[in-house]
Amino acid sequence: MTSVWIMLVKKSRAILGFAAISIVAASCGTNAPQDTWQPKGPNSKIIDDLQRPVFAVAGIIGLIVAVAVIYTLIKYRDRGQPIPEQTHGKPALEITLTIIPALILAVVAVFTFGAIFKLAKTDDTEMIINVTGQQWWWEYDYPTQNEFGITQPIISSGQLVMPVGTKVLLRETSRDVIHSYWIPALNGKRDAVPGRVQTLRLEADAPGIYAGQCTEFCGLSHANMRMEAVALSKADFAKWVANQQAAYVAPAKDSLAQQGEEVFLNQCVRCHQVNGLMRADGTPAIAAPDENVWSGSAPNLTHLMSRNTFAGASFDLLSKQCRDEVWNAPSDVVGTKYLAGVTEECLNQKDLRSWLRNAPAMLPMYANATQLKATGGKYRGMPYLALTEDDISKLVAYLLTLK
Amino acid sequence: MFSTGFKYFLGVTVLSIAALIMSLFVLDQVAIAGVAISMLIVVTALLAGIAVVTRDGQTTTSTPDASNELASQSMWPLVTSIGVVLLALGLVTSSIVFFTGVIVLLAALAEWMIQSWSERASKDKNYNAAARKRVLNPIEFPVLAALGLGVVIYSFSRIMLTVNKTTGATLFIVFGALVLIAGILFAVKPELKRSLVVAICVFGAVGIFTAGVISATSGVREELVAAKAESHELPECGAERSEHFDKEATGTLSLRSSVSATIELLDGKLTAQVVGFNKPQNTVTVRRSTPTSLIFRNLDAKEYRLVAELGTRTLVEPEGATEKNLVCTQLTAQGSEQLLLLDIAKSPKAGTSYSLTVPGVEGQSIELVVP
Ligand code: HEC
Ligand SMILES: [Cu+2]
Repeated sequence: MTSVWIMLVKKSRAILGFAAISIVAASCGTNAPQDTWQPKGPNSKIIDDLQRPVFAVAGIIGLIVAVAVIYTLIKYRDRGQPIPEQTHGKPALEITLTIIPALILAVVAVFTFGAIFKLAKTDDTEMIINVTGQQWWWEYDYPTQNEFGITQPIISSGQLVMPVGTKVLLRETSRDVIHSYWIPALNGKRDAVPGRVQTLRLEADAPGIYAGQCTEFCGLSHANMRMEAVALSKADFAKWVANQQAAYVAPAKDSLAQQGEEVFLNQCVRCHQVNGLMRADGTPAIAAPDENVWSGSAPNLTHLMSRNTFAGASFDLLSKQCRDEVWNAPSDVVGTKYLAGVTEECLNQKDLRSWLRNAPAMLPMYANATQLKATGGKYRGMPYLALTEDDISKLVAYLLTLK
Repeated sequence: MFSTGFKYFLGVTVLSIAALIMSLFVLDQVAIAGVAISMLIVVTALLAGIAVVTRDGQTTTSTPDASNELASQSMWPLVTSIGVVLLALGLVTSSIVFFTGVIVLLAALAEWMIQSWSERASKDKNYNAAARKRVLNPIEFPVLAALGLGVVIYSFSRIMLTVNKTTGATLFIVFGALVLIAGILFAVKPELKRSLVVAICVFGAVGIFTAGVISATSGVREELVAAKAESHELPECGAERSEHFDKEATGTLSLRSSVSATIELLDGKLTAQVVGFNKPQNTVTVRRSTPTSLIFRNLDAKEYRLVAELGTRTLVEPEGATEKNLVCTQLTAQGSEQLLLLDIAKSPKAGTSYSLTVPGVEGQSIELVVP
């Protein structure tokens, strides 16, 4: 009997030790860009200031309860003793044990409501960005805001670019199913719901790239639906805005890129808009994703190479080395590195080529038109287009000009 | 040795394992189905285990002796044959008849099978009747109740579509009051004769059904016929009142929390309060292929409507002709609001733009930006 007991104690010690080590190890993770315990802006700090004390209080209470339970289990375990006298009800004790938790919850509630109201404020907004979710990527559009030099709407995808120290308000909605926008370092989650406009405050203290993840299950590729918020210094942001508004530059005559433009006009323009791109007959090429894609939208590629990721930030446009250089750059140079965009040397050829070769092989998507009864044959992502390797090379050369 | 429950769950487990193996071959996207079937296998295997350990929760069973009586009369063979006929007829006529046949056939077969099983369950007739009820009543009562209610509600809706609006409201009140009175009567007088209660209910139901049939044959009221004849596709978006489109305009709105912007008309000026912006705007962004709701709030004395001018569209008839593509609210009285729902697939053609205007108010417009 005693030997069993000793063995049990030994084992549980080992288990406890292991659990403790894993918890400590987990909290020490340094490369954890989506760590909710590392706020990088005032809004996430509001949440953090709330969750830390609540976590501590809950932890202490949890510990007390656990110790009490274990103590009772051991002290009063069955040793063949007679069953003690049974009683029922102790009003004083019961009332006390109801009032104490109620009081604790009331205090927590006061601070929680305070935080909720602070996070719901919209009257101090300095900049607006429209965010639209669809399977399985995010679109961003910036309405004209002259104070930031945005004189014509800007449209982008995958990476949200914003100025630091600026109270940005996202106006979220969705084109198909419910998604949820979450950059843990900058704020909590907010659902993007079709037909509704919901707002989310974002503000970053320092320039840098902050990773996030769609957090409302939205179909096959939900787990791949990522996003990144890129905070730039105000000067860098102005440069970014100027570049996004720059006019289209057609590729040089007789270059590979120009052949790529031709392929693009044939194959891609029915879904992807490139602002300023002209057809051979001199009319502007207007994309019609509404006729081809279930959500009615495909990423605008006008300045594709100004962003570092593609396909819902699932893949990098930068090679591993170049990407690390941007991500690990100190905050005073990260803007310059980011604004350099994707150069030919830095391009992640492998993933981009695979994407053009057969996008549905890279992400689970409903992109086989023959199996799309429910959507009337419209794709839920980018389909397989049966391009030749030659065409792919031309397209890559062309896409590289879309800075 | 093996209990009934165990055999049942074992059967389901084996079948689901077979289904899992088949799905590997047949389905392209096994992921979700595979997970679901695997879960089923785990659950049924667990239940099978529990069933065998607990012997279906039974320790002793006493079954009365088997019966050797002849089967009694039954209407189910007749109903079954009707089902078969409907099914065959449906194959050549319409799918509604076909599915009615399928349902009648299945229901009759189930009733028939359980009846003949129960009649032989034991020598004791009362036990047999109870056995039948125990199996079938949980299905029969809800289905019959739903059918009965469906007929009553459908008949009532036909009546409401036929009588004019005031009569409709009166009827609704009278009918509701009668139901309430009957309910109170049954509740406070539980000693009421069963046959009387049944008579009242049947009388009411038959009355409504008859009135429903009469209404259905005499057609819906005039204004509904007129509204149906009018094209809903093209509301009349002018400054003047349109006969049907502007009828009974509502002055209130639900859905307030989901709007993208509120467009206000005050002193002949049009402004947009866009959610998120703290200052009035003179452009509103409408994202491509995204349902976007706007509220129009009229604060001026006359009645006005908000019109979204969305370029032109090509007509089928006469070929090649175009007309303005307009979407609008109903005429809105002072202090009232109306909802305008936009869903725009493409940006405007180069050199053109989309806008919000109010007919009868000159020089005021808000640009709709579709990036
Ligand atoms: C049927 C519509 C359709 C066609 C045709 C199409 N695409 Fe796509 N494409 C999409 C959709 C939808 C996405 C977004 C998929 C996602 O992120 O999950 C996409 C994503 C992309 C991306 C990533 C963009 C970003 O910012 O995330 C690139 C690059 C791309 N497509 C290039 C091309 C090229 C080049 C062609 C022509 C060979 C082409 N596409 C043809 C629908 C299409
Ligand atoms: Cu999502």
